[in-house]
Amino acid sequence: MPKILEAVDVVIVGAGAAGSVYAATLAEAGKSVIVLERGAARELTDLYSSQVWARRLKWGGPNVIERGGDSIWNNFNSGHGYGGAAIHHYGVWPRFHEEDFRERSLYGRSLDWPFEYSELRPFYDQVQREVGISGDAKKEVWRPPGEAYPLPPLSVTNHGSVLARGFDALSLRTSPIPIAILSQPYNGRPACLYDGWCDAGCPIGALANPLIVYIPRARTAGAQFRANAAVTRVLTDKAGKRATGVEYFTAAGEQVVQPARVVVLCAFTVENARLLLNSRSGAHPQGLANSSGMVGRYLMSHSAVMVYGMFPDEMQNYLGATGGQLLCQDAFGKTSHNGGGFGSRHWEIALILKPNDLLGVAMSNPSVFGDELHTFMQDGARHMGSMVGVCEDEPLIDNRIELAEETDQHGMRLARVTYKASPSASQLWAEAADEGVKIFKAAGAREAWHGPRGGQHIMGGTILGSDRANSVLNANAQSHDLANLFVGGPSVFATSSAANSTFTVHAVAMKSASFLANNWSAFA
Amino acid sequence: MEKVTRRTFVETAMKSSILTLRYALPTGTLFLTAAEARERKLPLLKLTAAEGRQLELLGEAIVPGSTACGLLHFVDHQLAASPNEALLIAKYFEVAPPFLAFYAHGLRASAGLAADGGAALEKRDKVGMKALISEMSKPGAMHDGFPISLFYMCLRSDAIDVVYGTPEGFKKLNIPYMQHIMPPEHWDA
Repeated sequence: MPKILEAVDVVIVGAGAAGSVYAATLAEAGKSVIVLERGAARELTDLYSSQVWARRLKWGGPNVIERGGDSIWNNFNSGHGYGGAAIHHYGVWPRFHEEDFRERSLYGRSLDWPFEYSELRPFYDQVQREVGISGDAKKEVWRPPGEAYPLPPLSVTNHGSVLARGFDALSLRTSPIPIAILSQPYNGRPACLYDGWCDAGCPIGALANPLIVYIPRARTAGAQFRANAAVTRVLTDKAGKRATGVEYFTAAGEQVVQPARVVVLCAFTVENARLLLNSRSGAHPQGLANSSGMVGRYLMSHSAVMVYGMFPDEMQNYLGATGGQLLCQDAFGKTSHNGGGFGSRHWEIALILKPNDLLGVAMSNPSVFGDELHTFMQDGARHMGSMVGVCEDEPLIDNRIELAEETDQHGMRLARVTYKASPSASQLWAEAADEGVKIFKAAGAREAWHGPRGGQHIMGGTILGSDRANSVLNANAQSHDLANLFVGGPSVFATSSAANSTFTVHAVAMKSASFLANNWSAFA
Repeated sequence: MEKVTRRTFVETAMKSSILTLRYALPTGTLFLTAAEARERKLPLLKLTAAEGRQLELLGEAIVPGSTACGLLHFVDHQLAASPNEALLIAKYFEVAPPFLAFYAHGLRASAGLAADGGAALEKRDKVGMKALISEMSKPGAMHDGFPISLFYMCLRSDAIDVVYGTPEGFKKLNIPYMQHIMPPEHWDA
């Protein structure tokens, strides 16, 4: 028999970006909040500045079985422990554009969100004030309407200046990258030191990860966080009309039930769908919140292309932020592509280069080995430049998360992912790869090349929509089927844009959590 | 929560060394770097001695100097950790745990590829090893159904980690491991 705990107002599954925003908003509204996190308890002092140690911040839960042709890079993109994926994210925070929310209406393809940019804008503005974003709204000419950034941009090093030459030469515009890293002290937090350990976690709190902004706020307001809590099911009443809490296992293997008046799933894209599918019952034979059969569907991933080059210049590529220094969104127009693809793409320019790890100097050219490798490393450490092109993925119904036959240690079926980048994304990727090499050559590179397709950000699977037959959640990220079940995180995205997802994750979670707090009597 | 500055945190972290391995001995717990563990010839936790020799031969051919930096003991130690705790890049490449099975299979496949090429892995000279690694490194290369190019990528990354992913490795490249550059007070200064 599971141990049954005292009921709380809200139980949140996942202590990442969305979960921490929900927790802070609802706890500050006076609700009793419990946050259950599958991974470890983590504090700022756990964030070692090492690409090797940083691998512990990434997904360490049950294996995800991938098939379909392309990888979503689940382990690299997901988080594990307090802070979730946002603990190791790069802090690049562009907003989604107005057209990202209305692709079906405007272009007759892809999907619409159930609200427009104008409805989300106040929450973008609120989050950016609370978090502190560095950037230059005027120079970011593609940016949709919104308050100016509260902080000036981060400084640009030789790396950014050299690569900007190439964009200038091809008449492409660049702006300071909008980034959730402090260029100046803000709200008691120190400014960035430009040492580039962002993706290993920022222990001084210059980068806005959940450990420095929303988790402390949630705790101050009384929210409790429990680590190593592996949630396996969302529970409902007998009629299946209301969620009644969640079931989880502790690190010691004890089965526990946490009753709650409202359940919020913020366990990241694959786990959100897996949890709902695993919560099937007599009332919900296809899984919870899945009367439409859409749970797990419309899985998306940004196709990313890394571009590298060796320059005669001293690049100072070891200085700066992991996520880059400059942005170019000249190719954000959905139908403006010579390569025929539909959707947006953009460049994040001058990403910091460490010697090792997936995005480091060595991995930029895996075919080099032996004595030549040392020569390559010496050259790359001083003269290499890098940038990444991020391409929109179109939501396809057959890209999906399902349950596999294999089970984890608790008997819960593993997630099986079927994913192939949309044809449009592949066209955009090819166009970007070609353009990126041209830009580097125009910037004066001795040699330039690009890497293979990478998968950046994982979205969809529990999408928002106006039509309950073709979506899982309504405009408030509330299940169409169960009024007291909410979902947060990039899994709720109906389109992927090419913009990095974390700012929008925060804004959507803030919107939904505010709705919940302001309409609590409807759920209590 | 205790207030931590970047500088005090880094000083503490650096004192503990970046790739310290922990060995439980009858006389107590021993903390060593991977290179020190190899120098002391500490027993392997997971790999066999024969596998260890093969791994070092391959690693040294891919990243010269990786043997002395303790590649073998680093990998072996990580293979003994839980998949959640392991620091191997195999995790990023979606290698299904347990990682020991992947490495053992990779070493067998490498030896098999070497034998197919007419010379055992252990008997190859520098030129012969280069030819073998060239075969392994071809994108999508397989051997008897095993993705040997993926194994090459993982082993290469492990070797890079121990040679260049440490403060000592950054010194070899003449780049600072940890910056303490304060940004200017004004963004356009």
